[in-house]
Formats: sequence, C-alpha cells, structure tokens
Amino acid sequence: MELNNKKWTDDEFYGVRKQILNTWETGKGVADLEKNIEYAKSVPDHKNFAKKMEKAKNEGITLAQPRAGVALLDKHIELLRYLQDDGGADLLPSTIDAYTRLNRYDECEVGIEESRKVGRSLLNGFPGVNHGVEGCRRVLEAVNVPLEARHGTPDARLLTEIIHAAGWTSNEGGGISYNIPYAKSVSIERTIKDWQYCDRLVGIYEEAGVSINREPFGPLTGTIVPPSTSNAVAIVEALMAAEQGVKSITVGYGQCGNLIQDVAAIRALQSQCDEYLRNNGYNDCVVTTVFHQWMGGFPADEAKAFGVISNGSATAALAGATKVIVKTPHEAIGIPTKEANCEGIKTTKMTLNLLQGQQLPMSEQLKTEIAIIKAETKCMIDKLFEIGKGDLAIGAVKGFDMGVIDIPFAPSKYNFGKMMPARDNNGAVRYLKFGNIPFTKELKDYNVKKLEERGKFEGREVGFQMTVDDIFAVGKGRLVGRPE
Amino acid sequence: MGNENGKTIVIGVIGSDCHAVGNKIIDYVLTENGFKVINVGVISPQEDFINAAVETNADAIIVSSLYGHGEIDCRGMRDKCKEAGIGDILLYVGGNIVVGKQKWEDVHERFQSMGFDRVYPPGTPIEHTMVEMKEDLKIN
Repeated sequence: MELNNKKWTDDEFYGVRKQILNTWETGKGVADLEKNIEYAKSVPDHKNFAKKMEKAKNEGITLAQPRAGVALLDKHIELLRYLQDDGGADLLPSTIDAYTRLNRYDECEVGIEESRKVGRSLLNGFPGVNHGVEGCRRVLEAVNVPLEARHGTPDARLLTEIIHAAGWTSNEGGGISYNIPYAKSVSIERTIKDWQYCDRLVGIYEEAGVSINREPFGPLTGTIVPPSTSNAVAIVEALMAAEQGVKSITVGYGQCGNLIQDVAAIRALQSQCDEYLRNNGYNDCVVTTVFHQWMGGFPADEAKAFGVISNGSATAALAGATKVIVKTPHEAIGIPTKEANCEGIKTTKMTLNLLQGQQLPMSEQLKTEIAIIKAETKCMIDKLFEIGKGDLAIGAVKGFDMGVIDIPFAPSKYNFGKMMPARDNNGAVRYLKFGNIPFTKELKDYNVKKLEERGKFEGREVGFQMTVDDIFAVGKGRLVGRPE
Repeated sequence: MGNENGKTIVIGVIGSDCHAVGNKIIDYVLTENGFKVINVGVISPQEDFINAAVETNADAIIVSSLYGHGEIDCRGMRDKCKEAGIGDILLYVGGNIVVGKQKWEDVHERFQSMGFDRVYPPGTPIEHTMVEMKEDLKIN
C-alpha cells in the first residue's frame, strides 16, 4: 500500500485487520467488530472521554489526569481506583509498559509472571495486549471516569483494537509523536501507516455512533522542545487523524517554563489547529488541548517537586488548557508509588481550583509570542504541504528526512538531528541551531537576538553548553541554566 | 576532540528503553574530556554493548537505564562478557534502574551481585561517574 494522506478504503482496512489480530493470541477476542462497537455503545456518557473533554472545554474547566500503570490486573485496578477516589482524578489513564510498546508480548509474559512471584511490578506499565479485551473491560468497569491508553507505541494497531473494544474512549499517539521520541529505527512511513489504521478504526466507531477521543503526543522528547516544533507535529497529526474520520482531537504541549510562552503556545495551538482543520475541509472536529506539566528532569527533593507541579498546574489553568497531565513528587527517581501519584493529583487540583475562571489576559508580550509561534509553525507545515505536493503524509516523510521539522534529543535515526534549542534570558525556549528548518530571515533573526541577550547577560558565547546547562537546570532548582 | 587519554568507553541505553537525552549528554561530556566514546544508542540489547566493546577493545561499558526494566535487562551481562572474552571489563550501570522508589542499598547490592563494578543511583551526574572511572582506569 502506497502512503498518502487519504482515508483508507474498507478493503484496505479489513485486509490489514486480519493480519493484525493474529499477531498475539488475545487478538482473537476482538475479531467481531460489531460486537465491540455494541459494547462501546453501552459505556455511559460520563465515562466517555470525548464527551467529558468537550463539556470541560465549553465550561472553561481544566481537568486533571495522572499517568499510571502496573503489570498485574488486580493491582492496576486498585491503583486506578485509588487515584480516582483519593486523588480525585477527573480522567484516568492506563500507561502501557515498554515491552508492549515494542510489541514484545512474550517478554510481557515474563514480566507479569515475575511480578506475581516477587509481589511488586517489574513492568513500568500495564501490558494491555497480554491482558486482552476481557482484562481491559474489567479495568473500565472498575472505574467511574473515562479511560485512555497512554503509551509510546510505534505500532499500536493490536493494542488500539483491544482498548476500544474494551470501551476505553481515548488513545494517545500518532505516526510522528509515537515514533521519533520512542523508536530508533522505525521509518516514519511505517508509523504513519500504522497510525492511519488506528485513526481509521476510531473513524469506524464514530460512524457507528461511538465518540472516541484521539490525542497526538505533545511533548515529544520532553526536553526543551520549542513550542512551534511540537505544535507543528500536533497539527500535522490532527490533520491526518481527521482524514481517517476522527472527530474528537486533543492536541498537546509540554510545559517549557516561561509563563507567557507557555500560555501563548496553548492558545496558538488551539486556534491554529482549528484553522488548519477548517482550511482543509474538516469542519466537524472538536479540538481540545492538553498541557503537560514539566516533562524534563525534576528536583529529587519532594517539596521542590511540588513547586514544579503547582507551577505547571497554574500555567495550564491560566492558559485555558482543557486538561493537564500530572507529574508526581517521585518524578526524579522514576515510577511513583500510588501515594506519591495521589499527592501529585491533589496538588494539581488544588491549584486548578484556586484559579478556576481566571485566564491570563492578553498583553503586548503575549500577543507577540503567539504571533511568533504561529509564524514559525506555519513555515514548517506549509513546507511539508509543498514538498508533498499537497499530500501531508508524503510531505511529513520527506520533511523529516530533510529536517523541515527537527525534534531535539530524539532517539530516531529518521530524525534530522541538527536543530538545537536553548533558553533565552527569560527562560523562553528558542532555536539555537536551525539545521534545515525553513524559517524566514525575520524569524531566524528574532531567535538569534533573544539568545544573544542571554549570552551578553551571562558573559559567555551562545552555544551548546547553554543547552546542556538548561537540561539540568530545573532538577537543580532553577529554570535557566546559568554558568556556575 | 576524543581519544586524547587513550581510553575507549562503550555507552548506551539497555533493553526497550528509548531515553536519549542523558545518553547524548554522556557522549558529549566524555568526548569533551578526552575519551573515545562508542555510543550504541538507545534500545540496545546486551549483545550490542558487548560486541562494540570487543570490536573496539574498550576499557569500560557504561549501561544506562531510565525506564525501570533495568533489573530484567541487565541480568547475565557479566556472563555474556566472559563468553565474549572480555570477562574483566569494567561494567557500570546507572539511572532509574528499578521500578519505583526502593531502598538504595538493596538495589546497589542486587546489581553488584550481577557483576557490575559500580552502580549509580538516580540523578548521578556523568561528571561524578567520570571521576571514579578515571580512578578505576588509572588516568590522572
């Protein structure tokens, strides 16, 4: 099948589907798509992700969602109920383990078995494929809020079949955002096709009357990614999802740390995504936003970590994001206990409650920042359309090869890897090295000027050492990595 | 730049782990400090580290793991080194090498008994590891 950004035909979809369901034994359990849709229809509205997100957007509320997942079914249910009942999570996740993300289901079996033996989870998430549709339905039935699969899987086709059949009404990921930050040697052509499948499946559910939400993964590598880079990827994935029939799209952004820039990023993302969808003929999509609390290195000191969490929550509220993804005080050391996870949610919700109804008012600074982000984003997306001769999927494959969009610190060999970011003197993330990103001279000059201000203030050359210092700065207790 | 002190270090991120940021920084800092760095990158099985070490006659292997599966991924690595004829190579491991917050003494002992010469807790800067590595490799 040749890659292009066209809605799959039934022949294409059901042809691939047959193979996919045979890749692991639990695939058999989801073979009857009509029955799956029937089950999904029985999920009540308050447990429907798309509906809850749309309602929150209309009411101007920011919802809080943790990350969480462990190896064993009963333990996973216990964890989610705790986060719902004690933490007050508005939306629940099932974070999927790293073996599943690489389709290594036999290694998941080892992890499940050993976790049972030693009485603690040896997997870093919930192996949804191994637990199958029955297990995943038990999870949904045990909770009282919508459920989303959160992972990082380049080929999530079987997982996607299983979770939607189980009534989970949101799936995170996309052909770029679940490849470049998560894989080393999977081509973008491959992952775009595999995510077209996932999106087409959602389209089929939508056509049958079941609303399902899709969320491109906003933060990418989570390491000082300039807002326009992540916004461009989010919008491209939103457009490709809409083509396959997706109607509920949540575009995401990972906190960079400068308040004005973060608010600008979310506002630019919402309005620019709406614009691109409309201009490409997708008129009935509901676009919402997700703000990820700081995704980079955290302070090990838990009190300091709560500071980072509160700060991210405040920014999410002031930006007007529809939901916020919550970090925990254990972030610096890895996967949190359920108690630590719960504390993260409570901190977040308290901050959101205090700021409910307030948004950062427009100012000259905010206006400038929104304009810069939109202009930079437009340069990248329009170039993809141009080199794809109007086809965004083809343009995206070529564009990554050429460095039109270039994601910093990505493990994938399909990423160009010549762009480098650094913070300016106010902590906003700018482009330090442009690589092949097709910015206008004005945009390049603006970035250079901003970084030179910092260089002058710190009395050092603008260069990669700034980037390295910035990566560790928050962990050490400040936003900008000043020379020691 | 690179190889001014004559020592070769293999680095990488083990298992199904795709955390690339620390890996790129370790590469940068060690190279800046005169080491020859062979970087097998993320999502690397034990064999990739060991093959690279054999091919380049490396002095040490630094295994990183950030995602929690380190305990499963690192088992048997010392034996595989022995089989490959580099049984005495310095073997370091660091990162968030187990799932969740556990008592560090226990984790340290678990990995030492797997044959790792040095085991580093979460958040150890590469500069710290480098000082101890210079001691172990007798570099001034």
